[in-house]
Amino acid sequence: MLSARTNVSKVECVPLKLAESHRIGILDPMPDDALLTSLLSAVEAAPGDVPLRLHVAELLADRGRLPEALAHCTQAITHDAANPAALALLHRLTSAISTPEPPVFDWTSAEEQVADIEPPEFAHVEDPAPAPTIEDIERPTVTLADVGGMEQVKERLELAFLGPMRNPQLAKAFGKTLAGGLLLYGPPGCGKTFLARAVAGELGARFYNVGISDVLDMYVGASERNLSQIFDAARRNAPCVLFLDEIDALGQKRSHLAHSTSMRNVVNQLLSEMDSLGGAGDGVFVLGATNHPWDVDNALRRPGRFDRMLLVLPPDAAARASILRYHLRDRPVAQIDVDKIVRATEHFSGADLAHVCTTAAERGLAASMRAGQLRPLTTADLEAAVREIRPSTGPWFSTARTVTAFGNADGSYDDLAAYLRKNKKL
Amino acid sequence: MSTAAQRVEYLRELGRFDDAEREARTALAAEPQDATLLVALAAVLLGAGRHAEGLAAADAATAAAPQDERVHRLRGLLLSYMGRHHEAVQAGYTAVSLAPEEPYAATGYARVLQRAGRLTDAMTVAHRLVALAPNSAASHFLLADVASDLGDRRTARASYAEVLRLDPQHAAARHDLAVLDARSHRPARALAGLVDAGTMDPSMPQVLQTVTAVLWQLSWRLRMWLAVATVIAVFSGSGTEPSWSARITAAAILLASAALAWLTVRDLPAGTRPVVRAALRTDGPLRFTWIATGVCLAVYAVVAVTGLRVLVVIVWLALALLGWLTLGVRIVRSARRRG
Repeated sequence: MLSARTNVSKVECVPLKLAESHRIGILDPMPDDALLTSLLSAVEAAPGDVPLRLHVAELLADRGRLPEALAHCTQAITHDAANPAALALLHRLTSAISTPEPPVFDWTSAEEQVADIEPPEFAHVEDPAPAPTIEDIERPTVTLADVGGMEQVKERLELAFLGPMRNPQLAKAFGKTLAGGLLLYGPPGCGKTFLARAVAGELGARFYNVGISDVLDMYVGASERNLSQIFDAARRNAPCVLFLDEIDALGQKRSHLAHSTSMRNVVNQLLSEMDSLGGAGDGVFVLGATNHPWDVDNALRRPGRFDRMLLVLPPDAAARASILRYHLRDRPVAQIDVDKIVRATEHFSGADLAHVCTTAAERGLAASMRAGQLRPLTTADLEAAVREIRPSTGPWFSTARTVTAFGNADGSYDDLAAYLRKNKKL
Repeated sequence: MSTAAQRVEYLRELGRFDDAEREARTALAAEPQDATLLVALAAVLLGAGRHAEGLAAADAATAAAPQDERVHRLRGLLLSYMGRHHEAVQAGYTAVSLAPEEPYAATGYARVLQRAGRLTDAMTVAHRLVALAPNSAASHFLLADVASDLGDRRTARASYAEVLRLDPQHAAARHDLAVLDARSHRPARALAGLVDAGTMDPSMPQVLQTVTAVLWQLSWRLRMWLAVATVIAVFSGSGTEPSWSARITAAAILLASAALAWLTVRDLPAGTRPVVRAALRTDGPLRFTWIATGVCLAVYAVVAVTGLRVLVVIVWLALALLGWLTLGVRIVRSARRRG
């Protein structure tokens, strides 16, 4: 009985102290408490000593160090799950932590302090709802002629997309509808965005680059509204290419979004916006790009939406040569055998090639600093850089191999399967 | 939850960990002690597999909001992935102590117990989780997973079936059920399950690996059968001259092999062939094994036509070679896994 009463009195007393420590708003750093320090050392030496640990936890709680007290209490419970004192302390600590008292605030004095401050000008004007920000609204000057190599991709782009857009009457005569978008897919860093920009250049249209961050909003319905406003803005600025970058994020399979009603609604909104486009008539051409077309909701791939897919592979030899020359154009070079580097960089993405040039430049810079004079980049520098860098496309092709095995029943990935058959080592 | 924290959560759910981290760190620069943001960052880093950095964020979150079960749950998971199982279990226990009715806390605690090797305790917590969230596929999946590790195949099978009832597109459950079939020496059924799982989620990389393992299992079965058949062929007669007994024995072996093959493949779904082809393409020794096994059957066809029993020696040598090859592959791959 005595023991029980002692416990009760402790339980009644401690919360008052805890409440006080909360009332001052912050937990003051503790002064060096010799007793507590020695007890903490003792706990470290004997971690299984439950009474000692509980005593330390109570002392910590008395000093307002609630997180540490909680940690010791839970460790005590780990060692002795049925210990009533430990359970009581845990209850006390959690309730103390979870119901802090609001800090007392002196409203009268605060009002006096701000009484002479002038309200800001236009403070009465209500902020309009923030419009969606669309990155990189531009009128691109690049065309497909500026894309080095990749002749197959350009040819398919011309036949599947640009040709019908330029010759609507001819397309109509053959019963080809102009509605729907084109989905560019392939490993990361292989120039999908650049190609999309070049398509806009070919069509003489504006280029709207839309990313997930332009759409996402925490408020219910706001993401859908943002998406709708983006499509409206595209219509107002027609002719334009609306480029939905990384569309696997905006249009992810709804079965993957079981726990996110908001994201499911975004996908539904995107479907509805795609359906609302009336072919070339309204001057909005939708291009999507993704590294993971298999994660895109199947409904988005139906006719009238993204019904055409174009595989954008790592740059071919001609494209690699162009990319290497581009990245070396402003660097001091001497006796560079570009063809040799091109042969050594098969399956490298454009981004990997840029990395190769940067790494080689770093080597050249280091050598120049050591020599005390400028030493231009050589083929050897580039070869050394190529040896250091692995193509980043490997993991993508590994996944792609599984996808072509399991998910190509409808032939969507025939191009990819053919490429993988040709490149068995990927 | 703040706007920034919500955006971080969205991006994490979409698997865009880089963007989510950038968003979280930008917001934290303005509010370094925001517990919600710290929790969100820790969750992102957990998803990205950057456990040490995640733990730093979780520790900061623990100091900022010690009453929040999520911080302890995340801390536990991060510690568990770092191999600090004792501390992980303590953190998991703190989470369930703070929120005993919260299914996510129970999930985290069960996972850290499972990873710490305390499978019986994990099983108890998983049962508690199923009681808390009986209509959640994730609860039953966890129970199935723990039961499978514990060797309780009956519970595991029933739980996987329940997962698939609640969520028929749960590719991981379909895959794990197929693994259970493979372990129960039902390779054909396992193969069918794996094809289903791959069709549900074609980007799941382990499905093709499991298909390869099942094909090894099937090839082992076929080789065992051929070894028995070869013994029968050798002892059913003697001599180097063509004989009718050799022809009949070889024909019977071919017929029995065909019957076994038919029994194995008859229930396989239509998409099995490209999957098997892809699996064989990824594993050179497996491809060689199947080609050599095919050659053995061809030798029996030749014996059935010519009656030359002596040719069976080729089968015997091929099977011995394949046995050694399989053993070598297994040793090398085990060493590679350990290394």
